[in-house]
Amino acid sequence: MPRRPSMRFCSAVFVPALLAVAVHAATPQEAQKVRHEHYEELGDAFKAVRDNSKGDSPDWAALGKATQTVVDASIDQQKWFAKGTGPEAGKTRALPEIWAKPADFTAAQKMFSDRAPKLLAAVQAKDAAGVRAAFKEVGGACKNCHDNFRAPEDN
Amino acid sequence: MTEQTPVASRARVRVWDLPTRLVHWLLVAGVAASWWTGETGRLEWHRWSGYGLLGLVLFRLYWGFFGGSTARFGRFLRGPRTVLAYLRGAWEAVPGHNPLGALSVVALLALLATQIALGLFAVDVDGIESGPLSEFVSFEAGRAAADWHGALFDLLLWLIALHIAAVVYYGLVKKQNLAAAMLHGERELPPGQPAVQHASALRLVVGIALAALLTWLVARAFRL
Repeated sequence: MPRRPSMRFCSAVFVPALLAVAVHAATPQEAQKVRHEHYEELGDAFKAVRDNSKGDSPDWAALGKATQTVVDASIDQQKWFAKGTGPEAGKTRALPEIWAKPADFTAAQKMFSDRAPKLLAAVQAKDAAGVRAAFKEVGGACKNCHDNFRAPEDN
Repeated sequence: MTEQTPVASRARVRVWDLPTRLVHWLLVAGVAASWWTGETGRLEWHRWSGYGLLGLVLFRLYWGFFGGSTARFGRFLRGPRTVLAYLRGAWEAVPGHNPLGALSVVALLALLATQIALGLFAVDVDGIESGPLSEFVSFEAGRAAADWHGALFDLLLWLIALHIAAVVYYGLVKKQNLAAAMLHGERELPPGQPAVQHASALRLVVGIALAALLTWLVARAFRL
């Protein structure tokens, strides 16, 4: 049964609005959990890049998939640190400096998003040595941010 | 081959051969290096010290079967009854580890071997640093290996502390300088003791070659 135009209008307006509310209504704790999962996914992808770039004949298909995840994360992570999702909201290794020094933090994040495409370019060019070099560079960007904005492991 | 015949009078006997002593002190250096590089996040060096320890432990395991008589597990490992007899002071001493010290040797070696094996599969939280064999396991399994690698190290430290405490006890109470004996290899032994048999140079060369080859293969994740 064709829907009435007014109902279609309602859907067009309210469904995205409801979705937006739902996203924003996520508690800081939920945001922390989602962030944690994102970084686990990133660690998984990063390990896959490392594993598949060893040796003389890398698995280019696997590398391409994992590298795309890394590149996507390098851009998406700029949205993962909403205000109020620091240590005040619960157990996290995210340091308060993230929100205290936003310019520095943004620069650290940008280092990652600037370097990640180089990794993808090397994979697309099927340049094994280039992949290993870019992997080190991207790893350096991760480490730079972790050294400054992440608390050390507590074990 | 030296000291083939039983010692006639109280004499200095080469109880520990050079490979056994060298492995012991290199293990000390290797564990110290791994501790420091691990704690300070120098993972590139941590892998190297780990490979060094892997080679040493592999050689020591080989030496436990093909080395001199005092290095062999089959000679120094004894059952619980003998350990109890030793504790009661009713054990007839032979050159080499006493029944209780033997347990400490095996426990330390086993823990060290487990610790190295876990390190080979370990992955750091970011997937940046990893052991050479981690490509054969998932990220989650590699993380679990890393967690165990950290937890087991505390246990290793306790065991090392116990080992040192025992050596100090023997020095202070029993007036036996075990650390010095592990340096120069000699002990003064009463007459009538069974002879210490040392292994040939060929066995030593074969052991070093095997340990080095296996370590090299593992470090390269078996890529020839």
